[in-house]
Amino acid sequence: MITVRTVERPPRDLAVQVFLLEVVKGLGVTYRHFFVNLWRHLLGLAGGRPAGSPPAAAWGGSPRGRASRPPSGRALAARGAVTVQYPEEPAVLGRRARTRHRLLKRPDGAPRCTSCLLCETVCPARCIRITAEDSPDPGIEKRARTFEIDMGLCVFCGHCVEACPVDAIRMDTGDMELPALHRREMIWDMKALMEDS
Amino acid sequence: MSILWVLVKLGAALGFGMSWAAFLGWVERKQSAVMQDRIGANRADILGFKLIGLFHTIADPIKLLTKEDFVPANVNKTFHAAAPALALGFPLLALAAFPFGGTFTVGGWTLSLQPLGSKVGLLYVLAMLAVGIHGVVMAGYASNSCYGLMGGLRGASQMLAYEVCLATTMAGAVFLYGTLDLAEAVRWQARMLGGWLPAWGIVFQPLGFVLFLVAGAALTKRTPFDLPEGESEIVGFHVEYSGMKFGMFMMTDLIESVVVCCLAATLFLGGWHAPFLPLDGLVGAAVMVGAFTAKVALVMFLLMQVRWTLPRFRFDQLLDLGWKGVLPAGLLNFFLTAWGIYLWR
Amino acid sequence: MARITLNGRPIETADGALMIDVAKEAGIHIPHYCYHPALGNPGNCRMCLVEVQGAPKLQPACRLKAVDGMVVRTDSPAVQAAQAGALELHLVNHPLDCPVCDQSGECGLQDYYMTIGRYKSGVAEDKRHMAKRKPIGPHVMLDQERCLWCTRCTRFLANVVKTAELGIFGRGHGQVVDLAPGKVLDNPYSGNVVDICPVGALTDRDFRYKVRAWYLESVDSVCPGCSRGCGVQVHTSTKRPWHNEGRRVARLKPRYNPEVNGHWICDEGRYSYKTLDQDRLGKVLRLRPAPAGLSAVGTELSWDAAWKEIAGRAGELMADKGAGGLAVIASGALSNEDWRSFKKLFVDSWKVVQFLFAPEPDQVGPEDSLLRRKEKVPNLKGGEALGFGTEFRSMSWDALARSIEAGRIWGLYVVDRDVAGVWGPAAAGLLGRLDFVVFQGPFKGGTGDLAHYRLPSTAYVEEEGSFTNFEGRLQRYAKALAPLGAALPDWEIFEGILARHRAGKGEAL
Repeated sequence: MITVRTVERPPRDLAVQVFLLEVVKGLGVTYRHFFVNLWRHLLGLAGGRPAGSPPAAAWGGSPRGRASRPPSGRALAARGAVTVQYPEEPAVLGRRARTRHRLLKRPDGAPRCTSCLLCETVCPARCIRITAEDSPDPGIEKRARTFEIDMGLCVFCGHCVEACPVDAIRMDTGDMELPALHRREMIWDMKALMEDS
Repeated sequence: MSILWVLVKLGAALGFGMSWAAFLGWVERKQSAVMQDRIGANRADILGFKLIGLFHTIADPIKLLTKEDFVPANVNKTFHAAAPALALGFPLLALAAFPFGGTFTVGGWTLSLQPLGSKVGLLYVLAMLAVGIHGVVMAGYASNSCYGLMGGLRGASQMLAYEVCLATTMAGAVFLYGTLDLAEAVRWQARMLGGWLPAWGIVFQPLGFVLFLVAGAALTKRTPFDLPEGESEIVGFHVEYSGMKFGMFMMTDLIESVVVCCLAATLFLGGWHAPFLPLDGLVGAAVMVGAFTAKVALVMFLLMQVRWTLPRFRFDQLLDLGWKGVLPAGLLNFFLTAWGIYLWR
Repeated sequence: MARITLNGRPIETADGALMIDVAKEAGIHIPHYCYHPALGNPGNCRMCLVEVQGAPKLQPACRLKAVDGMVVRTDSPAVQAAQAGALELHLVNHPLDCPVCDQSGECGLQDYYMTIGRYKSGVAEDKRHMAKRKPIGPHVMLDQERCLWCTRCTRFLANVVKTAELGIFGRGHGQVVDLAPGKVLDNPYSGNVVDICPVGALTDRDFRYKVRAWYLESVDSVCPGCSRGCGVQVHTSTKRPWHNEGRRVARLKPRYNPEVNGHWICDEGRYSYKTLDQDRLGKVLRLRPAPAGLSAVGTELSWDAAWKEIAGRAGELMADKGAGGLAVIASGALSNEDWRSFKKLFVDSWKVVQFLFAPEPDQVGPEDSLLRRKEKVPNLKGGEALGFGTEFRSMSWDALARSIEAGRIWGLYVVDRDVAGVWGPAAAGLLGRLDFVVFQGPFKGGTGDLAHYRLPSTAYVEEEGSFTNFEGRLQRYAKALAPLGAALPDWEIFEGILARHRAGKGEAL
């Protein structure tokens, strides 16, 4: 059921129209942040710790990849900055963060993918390339012969995961370090994509 | 001797501008970072010393100088190369006109701390700022890019509009001091009212000062008025520039800001005048230059904070603000000043 | 004349016209599976039910004849409920495996399921399991689970081809479509059952898994496989080269043309697309003809240079040895446009008298009363219309070979005919004796390496043009693909040589 709630427009009296008052208010906010944070940074410097870089172990995270326990907001705020010093500190990924794809397997180790090409069709970056073949298993009609994702083209939108009718592709590896020295190496084939499954 | 002294002063003024430009690049990044709960530039280090990111003032020019200077096909090569030099050069020239201090006597010589004294120093500064517009338009025109051209035209109409506004907002102060000579204007302010209140322009011209800051920010293309380039979405006149030529446009913004801050300090904040401090001899010279620099820094700090507080204007809003807001208010300020002076006399 | 009211719209139609056709003409689609205009209306799928005012029950539109004053609704709640109900019954055993099904994207069941289906089935029982991929012939794969028993395929095979390989066996839960005992679906029209199957029960073994239907682009064309000139649609897949094994044409589908081929095409024409991208020529070459077993070494030329050289060399030899020593081998594969330029160059300008057009022995094949014709080239008739009739065609290879052996022939211009492939190594040996051999065609074949000049021409899917079929019907075909390499249409090559020839002789262009 859609309900309509009328939101009253904010008043546009002279004080707002002149804009200067609003500018001063805004400056108040930003100056408060500036000086409070500056004070915290100075405290941090006085404490002998470089501003904004507590040791990674304090967060219980591994040096790379997903932190097992992301730092709390209060802990970050106390540093004067919420910056995470990736890659020295572990990256803090949300639970639903879309990272590098993986292909899931059936219980017998064969890829789950039925090569329906829905992910390839929905992919806005055209980074997925699939060719199909008959599956040797008589109970399964079609399977992927090749399945490649060009990570250099992928925009990590997650549409392929949404489109998959058999839950064969997921973007939950937590791996976002995908650089390579050659464009060819940015293309992940089926074997590489199934390694994490 | 006097020519040598003038050359020293000119070199100092140039160094003043260039070091401000380099320093402001760091300030901009660091100040915005701190107020946004971030850390900001902290990666460049020499032997492990990071010096709160100050080495970025060295790292950035090195990067810009060593980057490929890519010149697209079909640009007008002469104008394409001349544009950043024009844009950067004229604001730098403007700096020569400011009184970084009054006169001081040392060893029997009376020396002025103003590189180029002139009866029409203010007009000279305004003229230099106005010529700087050519760089922007030329960059957009020479780039053979519709984005660049549109950005250049946006820049021209904006800077022209706010050049007029800027002159208008200063008119009250000029009327008050009765001179266009910047050194003379500071000398008018370098006294105390009732022994405790400095007779700075801001005391007589509070409205003029606020309007001046608005017009100054817009003239120097600083956010929230950075529509000529707006690189995050609308792009602009230097879209076809890279390497140090791009860097020169970036420096132009900062140096124009320095010029506007110098103007503000000179006309509204008493220039080199520092109350209750000795203003003669070598110590006095240092105090005067220090006071002037501190005032410039203060205005700069405010402008930086404004830049990182306000979102960008829409272009029609920007011109509306200039022609329908700042200009009439500046004229009002001027007439009120004139009326006040008439009553006072 | 019957005046009926269809969905509130007054419509005039012929007395006794089928309501499903009347509605289609009026732009109203009535869902159906079993009805096919060429295969009759058994009325067994129950999808086309419509509401007729005054009738106590819903009527199947495929068996309802239009009568004056009839008031019909195809969109009333009762009709929609009936269609949804019928669809639910169709789906009792249909696996709904659309993601892996090749019909997906052009499937009647899928379309209706999305528009009128009940997404939640009321059937509690498990779906039955049958043969999932059963090859029933060289071209057709059967999936018994997906079948709806609309009987289109059995009716086509029984009534149109009259071979009746497929039948419906069993009743009720055990009902299944299958091959008749001892038969294989290998008649020359077997591919048509894939087209008429409204679901994915019958799929094309050649097209299977190659490209999804939604990637295909379609262009109207004419089949060049025989002188019938059946209407076809060329379905191409060019944007994703890793599909379809890199071939650009994915399949040919029949294009309805009541005057020529109706709804059908033969398998020979249907699968002729496969070689279109193989063995293709893409470069204009001047060759030093190769010794047997080696490929020729060539110099790539621009079209302009090749035209100049060919016109110049032919002119020299004609001045030297006489125009009577040049022979031209061509075939009915040329379009009407090609024939016109062909005539301008060889007959009007070069005064060639030795032509070989005979379709024998490679361009003839089986003929039947349904569609297939004996001459396996599309446009002999177009050549005849320009004067290349029986008197030209009568010249045989044997006569030509004798002339070459006797030294009466010094040059040969071959247009898209594989001399070495058709007439054997002896013919290839004869080509070596000639001073001047030009080979022009889309495919290299065995002759491509034996010529002095090799000119790439376009295949019919890469050019526009027209064919005249054996009845004299002129049919246009459209360009579906960009030419490969430097290939040009045959007529453009002829015109190019002609222009250089005239320029060489100082004639006005």
